[in-house]
Amino acid sequence: MSKKFSLTPYLFLTPALLVIAVFVLYPIAAVVYYSFTDYSISTPPIWVGTRNFQQLAQDPIFWQALSHSFIYLLVTPTLIVLCIILAIVVNRKLPGINAFRAMYYIPVISGSIAVGIAWRLMLDTNGLLNSLLISLGILKEPTQWLAEPAYTLPIAMLLTTWLGLGYYMMIFLAGLQNIPEELYDAALIDGCNHFQKHWHVSLPGLRPQITFVAIISSLAAIEVFNEIFILTGGLGGVLNSGVTIVFYLWRQAFRLQHAGYASAVAIVLLVITLVFSIVNIRRLERGEETE
Amino acid sequence: MELTQTATIRTGAARRRKLVEDIFWYVVLCLVAVVTAFPFIWVLATSLKGPNDAIYSVPPQLLPREPTLANYLRVWNQLPIANFFLNSIMVASVTVILNLLFTSLAAYPFAKMKFRGRDAIFYLLLATFIVPPQLTFIPSFVLAVNVFHYYDSILALIFPSLATVFNIFLLRQAFKTVPDDLIDAGRIDGAGEFRIWWSILMPIVRPSLATAAIITFVNQWNDFFWPSLMLHTRTNMTLQVGLVALQGMFASDTRGVAAGVVMTVVPIIIFFIVLQRQFVRGLTGAVKG
Repeated sequence: MSKKFSLTPYLFLTPALLVIAVFVLYPIAAVVYYSFTDYSISTPPIWVGTRNFQQLAQDPIFWQALSHSFIYLLVTPTLIVLCIILAIVVNRKLPGINAFRAMYYIPVISGSIAVGIAWRLMLDTNGLLNSLLISLGILKEPTQWLAEPAYTLPIAMLLTTWLGLGYYMMIFLAGLQNIPEELYDAALIDGCNHFQKHWHVSLPGLRPQITFVAIISSLAAIEVFNEIFILTGGLGGVLNSGVTIVFYLWRQAFRLQHAGYASAVAIVLLVITLVFSIVNIRRLERGEETE
Repeated sequence: MELTQTATIRTGAARRRKLVEDIFWYVVLCLVAVVTAFPFIWVLATSLKGPNDAIYSVPPQLLPREPTLANYLRVWNQLPIANFFLNSIMVASVTVILNLLFTSLAAYPFAKMKFRGRDAIFYLLLATFIVPPQLTFIPSFVLAVNVFHYYDSILALIFPSLATVFNIFLLRQAFKTVPDDLIDAGRIDGAGEFRIWWSILMPIVRPSLATAAIITFVNQWNDFFWPSLMLHTRTNMTLQVGLVALQGMFASDTRGVAAGVVMTVVPIIIFFIVLQRQFVRGLTGAVKG
């Protein structure tokens, strides 16, 4: 066998690289270009320099969308705390525990559209939640849950959290099962109670999973779209109360035909996720150093 | 005598405490199950309600008193649900097969060959991993309309998903665990690289292929953003896009929308229950603990 230049590895790579070049690399380059143009997809792009970005800086809805996306990040710590507790609960060896784990997992595979529509039906003015709250005497008359600007974002965040519970629970459960039993025994001998046991053994043991969930769920939060789309019927909520950065991108590009302007929004989104990833990778590296 | 007595009392007390504890945990587990399963149960119950069963009433009526399948029939007759299903199955399965083929081909040289530019290409691919997919949709839309002319066809859903960086990465990790000796033995036997990939490597990494297949399938099945941009003719829609169309069409018909939700969700839940083990390993296995 000669160690000369061989075409073989490149041939193996070609199909996949071709797909990624056309559908990932080219679009990234193109969206950067479009962001400096006036473009409506049906007519060719016209170079306008940084006009889109200047316009963005003065666009109150864009800033609103940006702040909504940052508020949305609250789902990440919520999910981490809830799912660790849930994982500890389902890690107990009880008969039938697998059935419970499976049940918690069903929202994950059902998809955000079907689940979102189910939620929407329940939250409707003539929906289950109102009739429940009225019969319990908590409400006097029906509330328009989905038409009330103050509720749009919290409801969407609740839905995202609910959709993610099972998935992140399973990740933490897998992590818990990798922690050696002896560590818990040692903690009990040292006089730890059950809470302290998890605080001192489970949490440090779950470090890699916590980092992973933090990265994945915060990226998902920044990129949220389906939940907003379904809950607001594609309108973004009353007074733009549910408009996030990706929703704004979608509306500008595909509802208002402002593809150039939407590309500028996309660039902002790219910068945010890049900063995020760099921060997270730094944190990962620091974590590995101390281990 | 006294000693054994205290011992039995103690174990009796311990057993009772264990029982109380177990009951407590089952109550907690059931409460969480109610939270996660309730919307599904409610949707199922609503989809079976007859015209005289109230959707909104104080106090709420949960179960149908006159259960009927009429809502399903109505939805089935007014929308091409069968097409939605076929399209979703086509998109998900064709994508899985071709994606696994392409990404496992690419993963082999990344894992086992030395060649010029390997690390550079690999890190470039990894870098694209953090790019939000929504970012690519504007140019991809232009490509679909102006270049590939597959706008409003399920081809538009298949082509961009034929290779994913995630699967290349996952399968590269799997190929790396295969001992080099096996590959060298194959070479000595005169097998070409393609034969080695197909006959030696692929059977060994079957669990990872299953993982990649499940992740890809579920992602494609539940995908909405891109399909909603591409598909407009009813008969071309996938389930998720069709479900939103249904929601618009049956806006004032809660029973009909509920029936649509049930029809969309039940197949994937059955699929999940059948393949539960692989699912859980697949969707959580990507994290190295």
